[in-house]
Amino acid sequence: MAKSKLFTMNEDRSLYPELDVNGKPIVDLTSHKYVKIWQGPQHPGVTGNMSLELTISGDEIVESKTHVGYLHRAFEKLLERRLFVQCMPTSIRLCVAEPDTNEYVISNAIEELGNIEVPEMAQWLRMLSLEMARLQVLLRQVPGQAGTFALGLGYQWGSYIRDLILDSFEELTGGRVYHMYIIPGGVRGLLPDGFKARLLEKLKLIDEFIPKIDKLIFNNVVFESRARGLAYIPKEWVDEYGIYGPASRGSGVSRDVRKTNPYLKYDQLDFEPFVTTEGDVYARTEVRRADLIMTVDLIRQILDKMPEKGDIKAETPNVLHWKIPKGETYSKCESSRGEYGMYFVTDGSAMPRRVNLKGPSYTHANALLDKLLINANIADTAAIMVSLATCPPEIER
Amino acid sequence: MDLKKLLTPFTAWGNITKDPVTIKDPFNERPGADRYRGFHKNDIDQCIGCGTCEVICENEAIDLVPVSDSKDGDSGLRPMIDYGRCCWCALCVDICTTNSLSLSNEYTWVSTDPEDFRFVPGVDKKDWDNNEKGWKKPDNYEFYSLKRVHMDELSPEERSDSFIEMMKGYSKEQAQQEADRCVQCGICTATCPAHMGIPEYIKAIRNDDLEEGLRILYDTNPLPEICGRICTHKCETVCSMGHKGDPISIRWLKRYIADQNPSEKYKEILEVENLQPKGKKVAIIGSGPSGLSAAHYLALMGYEVKIFEKLEAAGGMMRYGIPEYRLPYDQIDKDIDYILSLGVEIQYNVTIGKDITLDQLGKDYDAVFSGTGLHLGRSTGIPGSDNKHVYASPDLLRWIVEGKEFEVPESVVVIGGGNVAMDITRSMARLQMVKYGKVQVIATALETEENLPADLEEVVEGREEACIINAGWAPVEIEIKDGVPTGLHVVKCNSLFDSEGRFNPQTDPNVKEFWPGTMIIESIGQGMDLSYISEEFKTKLEFGPRGRVQTDEYFQTGVEWFFMGGDIIEGPDVIHGIANGHKAAVGIDIMLNPEKN
Amino acid sequence: MQKGINNLIEKFGASDLEVRRPGLSFITVENTKAVAAITHLKDIDGYTILSLITAVDWIEDGIMQLTYLLNNPEEIAEIGLRVMLERKEEAGESMETIHHLWPNAKKWQQELKEMFGIDFPTSPGLNDPFILEGWDAAPPYRRDFDTNKYAEETFFPRPGRETHDPAEHMKKNMYPNNPSDYTNKKYNPNR
Repeated sequence: MAKSKLFTMNEDRSLYPELDVNGKPIVDLTSHKYVKIWQGPQHPGVTGNMSLELTISGDEIVESKTHVGYLHRAFEKLLERRLFVQCMPTSIRLCVAEPDTNEYVISNAIEELGNIEVPEMAQWLRMLSLEMARLQVLLRQVPGQAGTFALGLGYQWGSYIRDLILDSFEELTGGRVYHMYIIPGGVRGLLPDGFKARLLEKLKLIDEFIPKIDKLIFNNVVFESRARGLAYIPKEWVDEYGIYGPASRGSGVSRDVRKTNPYLKYDQLDFEPFVTTEGDVYARTEVRRADLIMTVDLIRQILDKMPEKGDIKAETPNVLHWKIPKGETYSKCESSRGEYGMYFVTDGSAMPRRVNLKGPSYTHANALLDKLLINANIADTAAIMVSLATCPPEIER
Repeated sequence: MDLKKLLTPFTAWGNITKDPVTIKDPFNERPGADRYRGFHKNDIDQCIGCGTCEVICENEAIDLVPVSDSKDGDSGLRPMIDYGRCCWCALCVDICTTNSLSLSNEYTWVSTDPEDFRFVPGVDKKDWDNNEKGWKKPDNYEFYSLKRVHMDELSPEERSDSFIEMMKGYSKEQAQQEADRCVQCGICTATCPAHMGIPEYIKAIRNDDLEEGLRILYDTNPLPEICGRICTHKCETVCSMGHKGDPISIRWLKRYIADQNPSEKYKEILEVENLQPKGKKVAIIGSGPSGLSAAHYLALMGYEVKIFEKLEAAGGMMRYGIPEYRLPYDQIDKDIDYILSLGVEIQYNVTIGKDITLDQLGKDYDAVFSGTGLHLGRSTGIPGSDNKHVYASPDLLRWIVEGKEFEVPESVVVIGGGNVAMDITRSMARLQMVKYGKVQVIATALETEENLPADLEEVVEGREEACIINAGWAPVEIEIKDGVPTGLHVVKCNSLFDSEGRFNPQTDPNVKEFWPGTMIIESIGQGMDLSYISEEFKTKLEFGPRGRVQTDEYFQTGVEWFFMGGDIIEGPDVIHGIANGHKAAVGIDIMLNPEKN
Repeated sequence: MQKGINNLIEKFGASDLEVRRPGLSFITVENTKAVAAITHLKDIDGYTILSLITAVDWIEDGIMQLTYLLNNPEEIAEIGLRVMLERKEEAGESMETIHHLWPNAKKWQQELKEMFGIDFPTSPGLNDPFILEGWDAAPPYRRDFDTNKYAEETFFPRPGRETHDPAEHMKKNMYPNNPSDYTNKKYNPNR
């Protein structure tokens, strides 16, 4: 194991600014020892449009402040003026990379408050689309982590297979990025003819892809020396900072909504989320690599176990006048980034009273990111952000 | 440093000999998947311009623009898509009431003019109009229920020997469930002769605001209990829901509103407690739907109204032509009593032309409205039809209501396939059931099974009650033996109209049948009796085809104070009568108050 | 889960328990006792994760509802703690901060200040802009802020767009003289 940067934090800090009682560096910009720079809102190393206000000393970050708001579209407020079914096209845009989780949490909330029982077939299809979505995210994200260290080749390979998965989405749902597949009451279509065989064929490519990125990334001395020890998250932070999904599992805390609160048909699938304890960027990448393999396996299980035919949609009231009695719920699922939840309030009218989305980025990219960036090298900023899988649209909605 | 980990990544160089996986666009076409959501297509012949696509579009990308004339069941509007706003979610396709809208799998289209990206699919021709592939509404997937909520009814066994109302009416739950199916497009309103606010009163049911519902009904129709039971519901034939599933049960929903409001609260709900008298008087001849409707709206406008009725009870054909099992008398009374409670006076057993002349009415009143209806039965004129055991259906139906004694024979033949023929067929069946415990009625219609003029449910229910309904036969001769009919000779009728659409039945004399029956009832339409109008008065009127008096838009005749409406002018059915009466009331008000209009 | 709920009811007088599904309940607690209740839930009952803080504006009831969603990962249970604040006409409802319990809370509180105008005195950086830099209108997530009006005033529609209501269009073309228009006006102009 390469020498962890975790330990450099405790070495001689005489060249660095003094820390105040809260552990924050005391920075005097007029001393000419420090520079303030902005990373973002447009920056190839920043996932989505957000910016980091960084105070650096040499090439080391001494303070970071997250700025969001570049993507704010007041979606939560807009949903208050939409019929329940009209919420769907808007809600999927809450997270571009993995819109299916939005489709699921909002449909599930509407069904729960509106007392709709989703047919068995639709539940399997929902699960399939959610896992396919996770797959296409991970295909970019696992090699993408190396991309943040300027190793872009694996990302290109991943993007190719991701495109093939998007082709499958196109076949199944009619859309490549915004699928609009899960809808209150069910889903919008059965599997097309021959879909199963074609998707299984594509999954084989991922079986070949894994050893290739193992050689390229995980057996790469540069990646290892940069990722190991970087942005260490101790186990104790997980609850305190609200850390979810792969980031928590990289720090030895197994959190997976699919296991803790099995939804859809996850209780009928056989899987065990990978957990490791190192807590650094390397560990989080390893977790995602294991997730990628697990997702492929889950899709195979789903295709194997799902029924051939069945109802795809429960009968709902006429969508134009569908009113839901007063109530509130929190509907959640496991996204590729961790627990993805939606607080949904109805008031007896045909439109939601309040919708509040809670994605893991909200906690990952604010207090946690600011903390992790302190003392990091400026060149590692992108790597740290990607390892937390920050998605700005779900912070500001 | 681990030397192996330094070298392994270089195995990626192995890819250098492999072919690239990228698609070389534009040299290689890459069509969208079968379900791809690309540019819109619209089958404009199938589209009815109901506008649900516009309603559901959360991006407000759709405008309805006129492309052809409005007609029954088609607004003439078609959706125009603004691709500056469209997000290709295809909810518009999924909600389309006619399945006319779909998305093609075309996703590439270049134009330098941004206005090109706003067009009316199907009208503005595009390359992808004939693409088979693209998003269509999936099967077994609906945004609303296509199935009508069933209304409980008496079983054939329960009803076959009784005149108790057959349809039990909707419960609150059933009515709200049925009202929920309505997409509120309003296509029906134009077709309803009275242009009732159908989507609005259905909405009132959904909101459980039945008082508001009643107010909406009375805006256009003062006989909702009656229409809620026996209206010919032309609205339902154009209902946008009827394209993919069952049309909304508009008639039963109307009945539900009327049934749920108690008659003693009508005046309060309808806010008619302080009508301002105008000091002018109007006479109305006949208390059928048109006369009652005119009386109602005239009374609302402050006129003193008096109805002259020939028979001993009010309602005209609604009481004397429609069997009680379809329209119970207490429901007729509920509607009529409310109209009378507005101060409308009614005089029974008075025949115009005999007891009082039309000219006299004209002198005594500021205006006269006549809605005397079609009460004379028409005859086929075939040999034997002049026998005294051959009856006209209006007479028999009236006798049943009046309780007049007549011989109910064991076997009956009804000539006719319309709703009136079904009424008399099913009424005779009930009387036979009471008397003999069995039914033997044969109704014979010229029209083929698919083209029977009677409502489908009438035919189905009639057959459930053991009536025999034979379609596609032409009556030839009534066989008479010892002065009593023994039955009807018929021949096969293959077509009714010639190539130019004129009535010209084609029969095949070689295919014949004999329907036995000792009573023959002719029910092939009714005629009007205008004998109350003197010959001298008739010279002032203008007559059109089939002896109908010509009137203007407000049903005003050539004589300024004389208005005519209802079945004698338009129809025949109740709802036309109501609409005529309403319009005539407006015409009378305009005539009597020229300065205000 | 039941232990946490029982403690809320017995020690903090919580009311209006609503069990949404096994593992998720909503319960109301008075605003003066809320922070003590949350601290108890976190430190003693195992609700160590703060899933979210958000607000619901019940403008017609004069209530601004705060919802604290807490998660107990051991028992796999969630409690949505409702705190009903008296809604003020011009924003400025006030609630005690919980940033000392979870560092993330200050972000949520900052957002609630910005979007709903709810004050959390002593919460760090509360008045820093979070999403809306340079916003000086009313807090936009309150129900009385009209997004449609704002959009109409701020943006401009594409010119040349016009739509037609099917029923109105058919009336205009097919039966412009509807007698009910006339009679309604005549006898009851108020309707």
